Amino acid sequence: MTQMKSKTTPITSDYIDDPNYEKVHNPIFDSENISSFTLTEITDHKTDSGVLSQDSEFEIEDFAYSDDEFVYDDEENNETYDSMLSQPIKQITKKEMSEGSVPNLNYEVLTTQNIFKNMLSRLDHLQPVFNIPREDILLLMQHYDWNEERLLENWTERMDELLVEIGVSQKTSAVATSLEKKAENPDISGVKTKRGIAFKQSFECIICCEDKDTQTFSLECGHEYCIDCYRHYIENKLHNGNVITCMDCSLALKNIDIDTVMGHDSSKKLMASSIKSFIQKHNKNYKWCPYADCKCIIHLKDTSSLAEYTRLHFSPFVKCDAEHRFCFNCGFETHAPADCNVTNAWVKKAKKESENLNWVMSHTKECPKCGVNIEKDGGCNHMKCSSCKYEFCWICEGDWAPHGKSFYQCTLYTNDEKSKKKESEDLSKIMKKYTFYYRVFNEHEISAKLDWKLGQTIGSKVRALQEKMDVSWIEGQFLTDSIKILNEAVEDLSELLQIKDPEQIMKNKLEFYNKSGYVENRMYALMECGRDLLCKGICKPTD
Amino acid sequence: MASLPKRIIKETERLVTDPVPGITAEPHDDNLRYFKVTIEGPAGSPYENGLFHLELYLPDDYPMEAPKVRFLTKIYHPNIDRLGRICLDILKTNWSPALQIRTVLLSVQALLASPNPNDPLANDVAEDWIKNETGAKAKAKEWTSLYAKKE
Repeated sequence: MTQMKSKTTPITSDYIDDPNYEKVHNPIFDSENISSFTLTEITDHKTDSGVLSQDSEFEIEDFAYSDDEFVYDDEENNETYDSMLSQPIKQITKKEMSEGSVPNLNYEVLTTQNIFKNMLSRLDHLQPVFNIPREDILLLMQHYDWNEERLLENWTERMDELLVEIGVSQKTSAVATSLEKKAENPDISGVKTKRGIAFKQSFECIICCEDKDTQTFSLECGHEYCIDCYRHYIENKLHNGNVITCMDCSLALKNIDIDTVMGHDSSKKLMASSIKSFIQKHNKNYKWCPYADCKCIIHLKDTSSLAEYTRLHFSPFVKCDAEHRFCFNCGFETHAPADCNVTNAWVKKAKKESENLNWVMSHTKECPKCGVNIEKDGGCNHMKCSSCKYEFCWICEGDWAPHGKSFYQCTLYTNDEKSKKKESEDLSKIMKKYTFYYRVFNEHEISAKLDWKLGQTIGSKVRALQEKMDVSWIEGQFLTDSIKILNEAVEDLSELLQIKDPEQIMKNKLEFYNKSGYVENRMYALMECGRDLLCKGICKPTD
Repeated sequence: MASLPKRIIKETERLVTDPVPGITAEPHDDNLRYFKVTIEGPAGSPYENGLFHLELYLPDDYPMEAPKVRFLTKIYHPNIDRLGRICLDILKTNWSPALQIRTVLLSVQALLASPNPNDPLANDVAEDWIKNETGAKAKAKEWTSLYAKKE
């Protein structure tokens, strides 16, 4: 998914005017077909709501497959198509797309440091109420999942119990029993144990049962263990971000205790995980940037507008400091015009189905006659379909009869075209549909990669212009500007960009501008259409 | 295998010399971290008069990591599933190195005495337990006489 640029949604271009259209047109990579189909169908929809409203957008493959449906010499279609392009599109500007009908997203980009500061300031804010150390307030807040109101309510009611619960102070009865124990044990005097490290000779630790001269650690509860066991214990607990308590009671270790035992600032790890848990608890307002190794956090202060976004099938796209754009709602990359539900449905399907599909494709062949998927788990190449009893050769998928006795190796020439045709005919309907869309999806992913490569070469072209044509760098930027738009829309603009001769490039300068503007308009139009389809409930994802 | 930690040796010794009433635990001859365990059904529970076999394994990181315990005998209990896995806090999140094999087994025995259908592992059993406690207990008793016979 990382390579997928969702902005490269199927964008139609003016194939209508393109004399090469018939040549370019390839039924397999029919992405153009779908989008143009969608465009025309929408305009038709106003008068005839029949076709699309009954089925979902994933159901239109029947049309997409039959090329005849897309004859562009249809006058009426052409007209509506053109009016679609010239009229409403011009009205949808970039500005409107981003700030027009939906409320602005007010967000800030933070780092974990910022978040930690926020946490501390919240704790400081509470300090006068509690009048206990900041660290203890942190424990309280974590215990209450940062729900201040509930905490304050409980605090006034049962302050002492709470402190025991979070392990800041001991149960009075627990103190009594541990004191009793000490009274029984002549080695330890009745004084309350001091928190910290001590050195004991021939100390028997009840965790490891070793008897040795060692450093020990204990809290006020008097549960004393050797330092090795304590280190091992803390090491194991640091990662899950929970409060670390004494091994035998609920008294909590403070950060300073952890550092004392571990001998370095290990408590930082604990703090890091507590920051993570803070974000987790506030996941309505805070989102990690989903890009690998990106540590940015987006903080959306007011989430009330999100509902409006969903209602209008817009998606709240945000951008982190590392220029990663993603959807605040679902965490995917930008995916306009599809909304989060559609995107999610697609990704899930693609993930699930592609695994199945890959397995089926790599492990099975279809019976040439009845199309049942057959897995060969042993034996020779003389296959007999268990479903239709047809006998065929596993290698060439042809009738077995002409093979005679050449059991082990097929020597018959394979008529590739024929078998391929059969294959596609025999694919089950659902698989066919799915494969088709998956291919389209893949093609776009591939073109997105190619675009990136093209972007790389544009830089060198600009340099060539500077050197050979004496064009200033600023003037040469129209190429770079074009590529920016191309990144979001792949069409015959790319043909212009293929031009190698610098002289030719300068001649076509105007065309560059025209095409760019055109492609840009089309992109917004398509996004708008997609959203429209979703808004009006004409299209919805199927399972 | 690394030599057995002193802690495990001590615990094993104590399990033999000072056994818990109603519970036996014997290490396997080939693997001293693997215990064959039996627990008698607690009196007054539907499991009374039953003898339940369990297996207990001490992982490498024991006592920092909880022992793994599983019922081998089929049992009708809301916190024990069909594979014999036990839902018990001290075996998971609330494990502490200060606990021992004997305390774990005592807790398992206590779980037999007081099932907790509100925190179920076997959902169907728990549902039965909440809706029709007498019926569920009768079934538990029936299973006990069927599968947990004392030899």
